[in-house]
Amino acid sequence: MKFTTLRKLTIGLTAVLTFGTAFGASAETLRVGMECTYAPFNYRTADGELTGYDVDVAKGVAEIIGADLEYVCQQWDGMIPALLANKFDLIVASMSITNSRLEKIDFSSPYRDSVGRLVGKSNMEKPLFDAADKPIPENFTGLRIGLERASTYESWFNAILPDADIVLYDGSEPLYLDLVNGRVDAIMTNPMKAHLRFLAKEEGSGFEFVSPAIAEVEYFGTGVGIGLRQGQSELKASLDGAIKKLINDGKLTEYALKYFPFPIHNEEWGDN
Amino acid sequence: MSFDFTLIIDAVPKILLGIGLTFQLLVVSAVLGLVLAIGIMLMRISGKWYLSWPAQIYIYIFRGTPILVQIFIVYYGFPQLEFIRESFIWPLFRDPFGCAIVALTLNTGAYVSEILRGGVMGVDRGILEAGTALGLSVRQRFIHLTSPIAIRLALPAYGNDVISLLKSTALASTITLADMTGIARTIVAQTFAPYEIFISLAIIYMILTWILQKSLGRVERHLGRYMQK
Repeated sequence: MKFTTLRKLTIGLTAVLTFGTAFGASAETLRVGMECTYAPFNYRTADGELTGYDVDVAKGVAEIIGADLEYVCQQWDGMIPALLANKFDLIVASMSITNSRLEKIDFSSPYRDSVGRLVGKSNMEKPLFDAADKPIPENFTGLRIGLERASTYESWFNAILPDADIVLYDGSEPLYLDLVNGRVDAIMTNPMKAHLRFLAKEEGSGFEFVSPAIAEVEYFGTGVGIGLRQGQSELKASLDGAIKKLINDGKLTEYALKYFPFPIHNEEWGDN
Repeated sequence: MSFDFTLIIDAVPKILLGIGLTFQLLVVSAVLGLVLAIGIMLMRISGKWYLSWPAQIYIYIFRGTPILVQIFIVYYGFPQLEFIRESFIWPLFRDPFGCAIVALTLNTGAYVSEILRGGVMGVDRGILEAGTALGLSVRQRFIHLTSPIAIRLALPAYGNDVISLLKSTALASTITLADMTGIARTIVAQTFAPYEIFISLAIIYMILTWILQKSLGRVERHLGRYMQK
């Protein structure tokens, strides 16, 4: 009698221990790099909690592939070097899938549209774009344009308007400050972000979009994806699968509607 | 991690495009800082509390805070104040170069004024007493006796501060200026190759420091030539 109890206990304990170790090994921890200051995509609430569309996507993907998440805050211009230096495993930071980035890192399939738009004073003297939505280079002369260093917007300007007077910033918040201060005449940024963070607020009165939405695939890529180091095909496949599942289950739409009045991805990305 | 030398060959000429701006930042703030430092030092040693106290407070504030914080306060903080945005000094603060010069000048001024004070304190009392005995006024004693000796005494420490100022100019890249560091950071952002680019940048700064060090050494030897055998 005594013996069987002890035996049962031993078996139970062994089972618990085995299960415990097995569980610990299966839930790998993925370190996720993001700016942590890019509202409403990745930012901290007043209580210091990380939130935003990118964070929701990261959590949704982690749940599907069964991984734990650890967030690493990294300034934008060092994001890819930090990934390559193994400071974290994934970039979930609203990074567009562009050809120049694909030379250094891999991307999952896209989870958000990649698009840029200029914000400037409401009463600009000359239009910057013509009726066919093409930029008018001579009307850019004398204007200082604020951009985030290493952004898709910077490569677009370098290619399309190389003579524009570009001012490079390390983060997105100073762009709005200096636009209000008059240190720059216009900024190019994500229109969804500009609307929520700036134009819809009191400090944004007197400013408006001064360009159409620009999304040339050559510079803006096919969309925003999750970045990972090259040569991890298994991880990439599980990320792709997870994102497609999020799209097909309507989760991405649900995440987007928390911040915007409309979804910000392409439903076709969920096919096949 | 492989080390790509062709990247360095491509990057160095681009980085060198920023050497002019780095030099302007260094020279303008060094000169203005020296002028400021002389004034602050004179206030500090004046023996009058209403001059000495403000000088001490200024020195304490600018030596007591990181220069990066000072640059951010000047660049991002001041424009928040309505009266600065509407005053005649706004064009200075609107321009990132102006902000960098203001912050670097105020910072180096605090350190250099203490270096100069050290030099003045180091002048042998006997020399000044001899001057008094010869009937020189306070002003004459300061200009003809104290100053030349004090400059000689302060020069090694001053040279040190100029070299340190050269490296502080790199912080101007955080407020959108395309100095050598700003350009290097943009290249890193395009090539994703921090090692190659930042090592090239470091070597350029080392060469500049070597040139500064050698020139200051020459001035030191020239001023101290009476001591050489």
